[in-house]
Amino acid sequence: MDFFKKSLDPIVALAIIAIFDIFLFQIVGAWTVGGGETMIAGLFVKSLIGAKAMNRIPFWHMVFKPTWAYWKIYISLGMGFGALVSAILSKEFYWRVPKHLSEWVMITIGGLLMGIGIRLSFVCNVSTFLGLTPEMNLGGYLAVSGLVVGSWVGTWVYKKILEA
Amino acid sequence: MITTDGQCVAAFIFGTTVGVLVQRSRWCNTAALRDAMLFKSYRNTKALLVAMIILTIGFTTMMTFGNGNPMRFDVGINQFIGLFLFGIGMVFAGACTVSSWVKTGEGNIGALWALLFLIVGLFFSSLMWSFTFWPLAGQTMTGQPSAAGLQFGWADALTLQRDTGIPAVVFGLIQAAALFGLYRLILRRERATLEAERKAGASTSQSTTATQGAASKPAPSPVVPT
Repeated sequence: MDFFKKSLDPIVALAIIAIFDIFLFQIVGAWTVGGGETMIAGLFVKSLIGAKAMNRIPFWHMVFKPTWAYWKIYISLGMGFGALVSAILSKEFYWRVPKHLSEWVMITIGGLLMGIGIRLSFVCNVSTFLGLTPEMNLGGYLAVSGLVVGSWVGTWVYKKILEA
Repeated sequence: MITTDGQCVAAFIFGTTVGVLVQRSRWCNTAALRDAMLFKSYRNTKALLVAMIILTIGFTTMMTFGNGNPMRFDVGINQFIGLFLFGIGMVFAGACTVSSWVKTGEGNIGALWALLFLIVGLFFSSLMWSFTFWPLAGQTMTGQPSAAGLQFGWADALTLQRDTGIPAVVFGLIQAAALFGLYRLILRRERATLEAERKAGASTSQSTTATQGAASKPAPSPVVPT
């Protein structure tokens, strides 16, 4: 299959995704990843500590009751599955492991900050750029501003670390 | 009305399509911001802008006629602070929410590690939150503007349409035009960079030719005092 032999222009890829996203917006809602990841976090911790302990935490009792019937989970799982199939078909699947301790540290801090950021704002980068802002939601403009400033600060720190 | 199972199936099909397209195109939201700032490279930024233009027109058109499912939740300064932290995090991790799933699918253990710690961060920050509270101020999530809680209520294309009587799509077209202006600005900057590189390349090759030309001339005979 030729599709898996050559790379795709990201503009074409994102334009196709945007058109599909309009249909998804009509059926259930715009593309988002943070919501699904939040629910995955809830289900994961619930499996570790049990439903009773989970119910004592207000957020998981009142805002996000852990359930597998939450559609946003399946967007995240679908992305992983689609990428796996695509990587296998294009012979691009192979294990990549960060080599240096500094990389592991940066990824760990980065992951934690992303998780805290999603929970604090109730949105992720995808719902910011491709959900809220196209809906002209005020939260989208605030989130885009925060994300651009945060990326700039992150890039500046990253550059300093690379130079050091 | 679609059933819960139908919603999950539709979401999985959409997610799978996104996974394939992002894997083949190597698009990454982190790169869309980081590469533009660090390397003045706009490959991913342009794709993001095109998607935003299409979605703005699509969503606001649907919202004009009361269709679609826009997100409704309290808007406050927490969106700025949260995404500020997220922005730093995604540059550090080298992946955003999309690319961490896609890279994990490609066998990247670093991306899987980022996802794991994203989940850890999500869970620990959830311990600070209840339905009506966010960590920096009490009793803010009421859906109403609140100066004490730095909350602004809810506002989007629908509220604009309701308050002004102007169809939401008109505002959408204005936003799309602004995004298109930004896209054209990037194209112009790319063209200017290419032009500058071409000129620099031409002058380098000219000076190289001149140097080579000088080298190919017979060397002048040394003046030997007689």
